[in-house]
Amino acid sequence: MDRPEILKKVNDVFIDVMDDDNIILNYVTTANDVDEWDSLNHIQLVVAIEKLFKIRFTSKEIQSWDNVGAMVDSIISKLN
Amino acid sequence: MIEPVNYICERIEALNPIHSKKLRKSMEFFDDKYNELAGAFFEKYIQLLHAENKTLDYAIDCYLKMIADVNAETLEFLRTGKYSSSTFDEVNARVYASPETMAYYMHGLILSQFLWKHHYQVFDYFINTLPQYINTTKSYLEVGVGHGLYLSKSLEILDDEASFTVVDISETSITLAKHFTNNSRIAFNLRDIFDFDNEEKFDFITLGEVLEHVEDPLKLLSKLNSLLSENGTLFFTTPTNAPAIDHIYLFNNVEEIRKIVRQAGFQIIGERAFLSEEVSPEKAEKYKIAVLYAAFIKKADV
Repeated sequence: MDRPEILKKVNDVFIDVMDDDNIILNYVTTANDVDEWDSLNHIQLVVAIEKLFKIRFTSKEIQSWDNVGAMVDSIISKLN
Repeated sequence: MIEPVNYICERIEALNPIHSKKLRKSMEFFDDKYNELAGAFFEKYIQLLHAENKTLDYAIDCYLKMIADVNAETLEFLRTGKYSSSTFDEVNARVYASPETMAYYMHGLILSQFLWKHHYQVFDYFINTLPQYINTTKSYLEVGVGHGLYLSKSLEILDDEASFTVVDISETSITLAKHFTNNSRIAFNLRDIFDFDNEEKFDFITLGEVLEHVEDPLKLLSKLNSLLSENGTLFFTTPTNAPAIDHIYLFNNVEEIRKIVRQAGFQIIGERAFLSEEVSPEKAEKYKIAVLYAAFIKKADV
């Protein structure tokens, strides 16, 4: 799965968790750009992404994400 | 927004912007009555901090440490469907017997009282309802006094002649509550409630967010039933789906709470359930979002 494919799947997770069909992510999107991306939704996103890709993140990885691109790269590193 | 709350929100916005979104939503809900209560509370609380050579910044750091704990516990809870600890011994070693952890946890919880909408809503429900019990309450017991806020308000509301008793297993909580209430009418007991007995029964018992901290909440409610006078009232609160470093008993929904209330020989007089986040009930159920349940109960009619 390449980076754009993963971004698309992550985008779908955001739409589902935040219940907002209008969310369009790119690699530099941050929590500042998405109103509903608060601390609770952040945790829900992590768990939903873990389930979807059948992976498990460490706390260090989760804390290191400063945008969606970093999140996508973390997923890629787990899948390879 | 009153000044201390404004300062706290701005500081949290700078230190943890993603969490500050939750606080902003709470702030939209708060009204003049909140400002009055929070203003009086923070005046007292800041004095208490200063008496310990601490500042509001210390309390904010404590709050953010607590939030980091809650987030880590929530992540694990959503992955496993369970709280990370299941025995009292585990959380005793991890939290209650650790003065350092207890200190930041208590101060964090104090701030949450006036930063989280659902904590404020429960407090508001308590202080609006308690005046109904002024005439019938000659003895008040609080089990698990925490920071002492509910106790402090009960002292203000109930009769001047009423007696006040506190039972708590945490020295940190008792010290904090003593400072916060600063009242010689209160008899503080540092002990496990199961080791506590009293010749006279209590007319009113408060049990704020304790059931989730024990292995057998039914046993605790039954014990309190034995300490309650025949026409007495018990006010309790407890959350569903609320992972925290010292929560061990998981209520999956409100009906599970009601069930043990009945099993312990009580009937519900009044109840409220407050969602911990601004989401629809459907989303709350799907994503296991905490609900804070509060009820006034009495001994069941035989």
